[in-house]
Amino acid sequence: MSSKVLAFINFKGGVGKTATVVNIGATLAKLHEKKVLIVDLDPQSNSSIWLMRPDRWREHVSKGRRSTFQIFDDALHGKARFDFDETVVKGVVTWTGFTDLPRLHLLPAAVELLRVEDRIHELRAPVVYQILDSALGLHFKEYDYVLLDCPPNLYSTTKTAIFSADGCVVPYVPDYLSLSGLMVLAEQIGEMREKFAPYLPPRRKPNIAAVIVSHYRQAGNVFRLAVNELELSLSQLQATGLLPDRAVLLQPYIRHCVRVAESTSEHLPVILYAPGSIGAQDYCDLTQRFVDLFESKK
Amino acid sequence: MNYSDLSSRLLHLGERLAKHAGKIDGETLGRSARRLAAQLDAFEEHLNSYLASRKSGELLLETLIRSPAAKRHLTFDLLKHGLREIAGKRLKSEDLPAAKREFVELIHEAGKQEKGVEFLQDAFAQAIHVEAGGKDKAHLQREFVRLGQLADEEFAQEIGKRTFGELRRVAGVNGIKFTDKTTKQRLTALIRRYAQRAAVNIAATRVPSHS
Repeated sequence: MSSKVLAFINFKGGVGKTATVVNIGATLAKLHEKKVLIVDLDPQSNSSIWLMRPDRWREHVSKGRRSTFQIFDDALHGKARFDFDETVVKGVVTWTGFTDLPRLHLLPAAVELLRVEDRIHELRAPVVYQILDSALGLHFKEYDYVLLDCPPNLYSTTKTAIFSADGCVVPYVPDYLSLSGLMVLAEQIGEMREKFAPYLPPRRKPNIAAVIVSHYRQAGNVFRLAVNELELSLSQLQATGLLPDRAVLLQPYIRHCVRVAESTSEHLPVILYAPGSIGAQDYCDLTQRFVDLFESKK
Repeated sequence: MNYSDLSSRLLHLGERLAKHAGKIDGETLGRSARRLAAQLDAFEEHLNSYLASRKSGELLLETLIRSPAAKRHLTFDLLKHGLREIAGKRLKSEDLPAAKREFVELIHEAGKQEKGVEFLQDAFAQAIHVEAGGKDKAHLQREFVRLGQLADEEFAQEIGKRTFGELRRVAGVNGIKFTDKTTKQRLTALIRRYAQRAAVNIAATRVPSHS
């Protein structure tokens, strides 16, 4: 199976990163019949709690054992306790008590991931970059899409995700603070690309592949102007070589939708919780564009 | 509980039942067994129908026709056109909900579920609205930033050379909202204000050169 491994990153928080990962993942599984793995790398564990409910998640990842934390803990202690089959969660449990979306799999995160950053610098390059790739690379091949939900920073955990990924997807809210962050992000990824180059397999070159706009509102000039400034910045980054020419601003923009916020409390992706909402419709259209982009259909 | 758990439970129950089948009796147990058998009949019917529709592609066809994308993009005319193209048949229904049901039934009868899925996926993909902004969008965006970098006098000179129509195109492409009642003077002020902002924001976020 030819899998696409994509790191969803932005070191600014609150940009809709988890909502994008969960809802694109669910739509790929439900409407495109793709086999999808979400890898939660954020100690806040938001995509895990969203899809599993807090009680199941807490029980499943107790002491970090059946979570992505174990991958990093193993690397730090030279152990091999991580077991993919017992860690992976298959499908989403609906309120009937039975699972839906059997093609959507999740490797949950645990808060213990917070401890990883303090110690990971003890490992030297390239071992530190390769942690995720070494532990999961073979499993990634079983999926059509692997979506890596990164923490809102560019520390070591995120770097391991960028190393493993075929491309980066940047969720973005149209405001100036996000805009300034995007420039730094592009530069940082450029630096990582150079640093990783000797250790990467041929043809894998970390880069920003797409930018996704969320929390968009139609009213007034505010968001149209902000998106225009984003487009101008992307052109500038492409002109300076920090962004490849093929990197795109994916449309449609995800509009602000209260049903998406509500779906987090229901622990369901919005296409299951409120299929008639504008949020669900926007994610459906965006996912179609996502498939067109990554499967090279124009 | 998931379906794997349920299957293990049923297997375990079946084994126990088989082991003790020759020794168990009584009215209470019998009534409960009859209720379970009725529930199992209903469950088996649902499961068979699910598996058959899954195998034939009908499940995906039904999922697509009830999907959020269908709610936004699926029209009566699209179904009419699709049915004629795929199965060579005509829709008899007069409203969209009935037409959706008829479409699935007739596609199923014709055994063309996969074609139906392909048709809907392509139609939804083509219907997605993308703001393209015209072929000279990039040029007008660069022009906008350049206008924002000009001193007041230079800006006034530049604006003086342009028609109202040209200014409206610059404003429209660069996200400035205006109406038919917006005057040239007002539009010029808006362009000045937001072009300056764009120039400052883009310049301030430019990545510093290491050389």
